[in-house]
Amino acid sequence: MKNENVLEIIGLCKKYPKFTLDNVSFSVKKGEIMGFIGRNGAGKTTTIKSVLGLVNPDGGEVRFFGKRMCEGESEIKQQIGYACGSIGYYPRRRLCDTVAVTRRFYGNFDETLYKKHLSDFSIDESKRPIELSEGMKVKFNLALALSHHAKLLILDEPTSGLDPVSREELLEIFLSLANDGVSILFSTHITSDLVKCADSVTYIKGGRIEASMPIGEYTDGYRLVRFDTEPSEDERRVLHGICRSRDGFTGLVRTCDTESFNEKPLAQPTLEEVMVHLEMQ
Amino acid sequence: MKNLLYKEFTLAASPLTYIFIAFSVMVFIPGYPILVGAFFVCLGIFYSFRNAREDGDVTYTALLPVRKSDVAVAKCLFSVAVEMISFLLCLIFACIRSTVLVSVGPYRTNPMLPANFVYLGAVLVIFALFNSVFISGFYRTAYRLGGPFIAFSVAAFAVITAAEALWHFPGLGVLGGVADGRTHIRALVFAICALFYIAATLLSIRSSGRKFEKIDL
Repeated sequence: MKNENVLEIIGLCKKYPKFTLDNVSFSVKKGEIMGFIGRNGAGKTTTIKSVLGLVNPDGGEVRFFGKRMCEGESEIKQQIGYACGSIGYYPRRRLCDTVAVTRRFYGNFDETLYKKHLSDFSIDESKRPIELSEGMKVKFNLALALSHHAKLLILDEPTSGLDPVSREELLEIFLSLANDGVSILFSTHITSDLVKCADSVTYIKGGRIEASMPIGEYTDGYRLVRFDTEPSEDERRVLHGICRSRDGFTGLVRTCDTESFNEKPLAQPTLEEVMVHLEMQ
Repeated sequence: MKNLLYKEFTLAASPLTYIFIAFSVMVFIPGYPILVGAFFVCLGIFYSFRNAREDGDVTYTALLPVRKSDVAVAKCLFSVAVEMISFLLCLIFACIRSTVLVSVGPYRTNPMLPANFVYLGAVLVIFALFNSVFISGFYRTAYRLGGPFIAFSVAAFAVITAAEALWHFPGLGVLGGVADGRTHIRALVFAICALFYIAATLLSIRSSGRKFEKIDL
């Protein structure tokens, strides 16, 4: 049952005066960790909000565990954990007071697991969100999202603001959750985190999905070409974005188009290099 | 819904909401437009809406495993609960003032609306306006509080003015009477006001839930 879709997004559209989410489609399988990448304003948060029902899409469909949200909103939400890069609610309430209310809504809230996450993340429950650093806020959000045995975690930049050790710990938690069949969709700017733990990546650019596939397959589709001098007009036509560096220029080329650059040094790009070059296009 | 109401009372409510319920005691102030007490109770509930907005309660609640429309419905029911507690206090205090204290000097010569059935009916009309004008107006955006509250305030003070003035008009003196043998007429006015409260509140709850469902948070 590993291949069953836990989350399916089909043709999601949302039009704002200055931004359009255009026909966004992708799916997350059971036990899959999917990274959701794109630059600021590309539509990641709008997509996540539409998926969670906070924003009403103009078109398209979102299915959780094969069901639309309207077919059992509260039951579906019981199986979803959501966390973002900060705590946007009850900034002056003690964390324990907020949690005391929150846990009542989740039939399978696991007190032991919650306490374990608090202890792992060194969170003092008697503190208020305004007393926490941004990193600690992220950790608290995650502790809460991970404590009701959610089958799908939707995380909006969960690693932003975390120190490298905490990020590593978190990625390990993600891997162990995925082993247990939990699916994770997380947006991030830190693409190195994805390389460590994600199975697949969905890349959104200007409100449109550019790619949604296994990370290796995605980066294999491109090669990085190094230039000592600025690429010519002919070369630019084949390249997907050019970046300037201290040693010269780098350009991204589709693997199938590399014969035009046989004399140049070619390298396998990282996910970040692919994304940055495509954005510079 | 039980959990949502628990959240409203323990987490989202402003302490001022509970403190302002005490304004129901204004029933005992002689020579004063005692309906203002109902307005203050609504002002107390307004503080809970403001607190909830500042605390990010709307998004927090919408992410909980509940239907999105129930987020607004719970807030409406919380308001109704506060209004009913306040109304119960007004009822008790009005009974005391109209029976035990009816012959006390300041109440006998009181030029303002006495604590009778018409007063209780007007209290419900003010609460109904709060539910239908303020709450329903707030859920058009789930963040704009000022406009709907000003609209409610204007309507509420129009009702207070009308209630204070009407019984001085020829033929309408019955509205300002106490224990004069014409209580049944005032009871009828109260019944009409109570029906208005029920209808306006039910419509407000329904429309708030529907409006909130369509809002982009």
